[in-house]
Amino acid sequence: MHQNVVVLDNGGGLIKAGLGGERDPSAIIPNCVYRPLASKKWVHPSPNEPMDLTSAAVRRPIDRGYLINPDLQREIWANLFSSLLRVNPAQSSLLLTEPLFTLPSIQRATDELVFEDFNFSSFYVAHSPSLAHLYEASQRTFKAQCSLVVDCGFSFTHAVPVFQNFPINYAAKRIDLGGKALTNYLKELVSYRSVNVMDETFLIDDVKEKLCFVSLDVARDLQIAKKQGNAFRCTYVLPDGVTHTKGFVKNPEEAQRYLALGDGDTLEEVQQKMDVDQMEVTNKLEDRKKIDLTKNEFDLTNERFLVPEMIFHPADLGMNQAGLAECIVRAVSSCHPHLQPVLYENIILTGGSTLFPRLSDRLEKELRPLVPDDYQVNITPQQDPILGVWRGGSLLASSPDFEAMRVTKAEYEELGSARCRRRFC
Amino acid sequence: MDDDVSNPMRRMSSRTRKVASKMTAALQSSDNRTQAALARLEALENDNAGLEMVEANDDDEASLDDDDQVYIQKKHSKGTKRKTRQAKALEARKAPRTFLELVHEANLDSLPPHVPSYLKAAVGPPSSTSRRHFCTVCGSAANYTCVRCGVRFCSSRCQNIHNDTRCLKFVA
Repeated sequence: MHQNVVVLDNGGGLIKAGLGGERDPSAIIPNCVYRPLASKKWVHPSPNEPMDLTSAAVRRPIDRGYLINPDLQREIWANLFSSLLRVNPAQSSLLLTEPLFTLPSIQRATDELVFEDFNFSSFYVAHSPSLAHLYEASQRTFKAQCSLVVDCGFSFTHAVPVFQNFPINYAAKRIDLGGKALTNYLKELVSYRSVNVMDETFLIDDVKEKLCFVSLDVARDLQIAKKQGNAFRCTYVLPDGVTHTKGFVKNPEEAQRYLALGDGDTLEEVQQKMDVDQMEVTNKLEDRKKIDLTKNEFDLTNERFLVPEMIFHPADLGMNQAGLAECIVRAVSSCHPHLQPVLYENIILTGGSTLFPRLSDRLEKELRPLVPDDYQVNITPQQDPILGVWRGGSLLASSPDFEAMRVTKAEYEELGSARCRRRFC
Repeated sequence: MDDDVSNPMRRMSSRTRKVASKMTAALQSSDNRTQAALARLEALENDNAGLEMVEANDDDEASLDDDDQVYIQKKHSKGTKRKTRQAKALEARKAPRTFLELVHEANLDSLPPHVPSYLKAAVGPPSSTSRRHFCTVCGSAANYTCVRCGVRFCSSRCQNIHNDTRCLKFVA
């Protein structure tokens, strides 16, 4: 019997959902419910009618990457299945992603949610690293047997070696830092330095996505950022609620200026490049001062690269954890020595937080000195890092093996949750 | 825990066991600065920084189902004081527990050392690089430390701003 497979990449930030076999998910919604300032009710996000999220409160079913509030998740999924995907769970199977090392109590709650609340006819749990690997392997001409998947998502960052589509779990390493913490950090900085935005999660998310980038040389960039009218300064206009309900970057060209700075440029060279458009900048500065009084806006300078910087040096935040490059090295060194050169050659970057410009360049720069000389380092950023895992799931769901891998409702009822789970590890 | 065995009649607070390990470490240390640093890291994972207090009270839709009640029942320990209805209601509000509490409950420390688990997957402390310090006021490299609260700043201008606004407030 042929039935639909619902592929659900249940991220802490975004749910990516669609039917197996398709190229792109048909619904991408935030995995949360909002309560806008004016309302007393929690509402589900809908992709079609954007609403005013100024100072909206959020509830998320996922904390630190793991599902802790199954009730809320049930509401969100119910809304997703009925009004967005329009599927009948009882007649479909579900492919769900789950982070590594999910606690048994959470697994049980998930199984109950899937089989008892939604009555899916069968269920398969996949780990996101293996799906990302699967998708990348299908894109290439030669099939890589193994790769190191770096998943830098909303709640945390994982470096996981994948061997023949199985994540090597004893080698997986995690940094407890993801997009959510970065947004909160940026929020903290902006609130102290210019405007209080502690309530504006969605606004700052947008600022982060549009303006943040990874610096290739932090010490140099900090020096540059000290100067007046430097290449990093950029203005973001807050929504006024009348003419525009969304914030925007005041001058998009200005936001791109940092790209002109090359990797190896010394401070003097930078100085010269800057001098050229110094006139222009001072003029603009005058302009800005005039408008400043009538419009609500704030400037960002070194915050733009200091925020993503924390992925590379969580210690700077006071976290006792190594940065991304070292995390990768530790994950690889826990594997068999024969695998190590192959893993360094196939590093896949996935997850929304890898979208920061220049992240892969910086990673390569940090990783190279840590890796033995005779190994090649090859970092592949995924084309669509947010969707990569889902596409892998879609491939898996349409493959002929899928039928045999999943657990049916009858099996679940017969054997219970713990027994069924053994199939998925 | 030895006291527990030797004197079963002694009333122990069951609360300490449910606190995450990091938090107990923080509570034990009398050092305000460590506490502030840990609290700040917690805050980075927070959803509604500004609205938290409001949220706990006007939660219209936080309806609880029966299976949830069972979930909570586990939390009640036998020997504690009788609770008023209000206290129970307050506890019920807390129903979706934090992930750290769940980790603590799963008792991952008791697993044999070769079994990989959530706790063992954490990457661990950095080996080579030390912490860089950035000025809390302007963000550039900070060479000076506030003698009163230990927060970093880069220049006397930033020091003045720090003293006027944030000194000893332990917010960030």
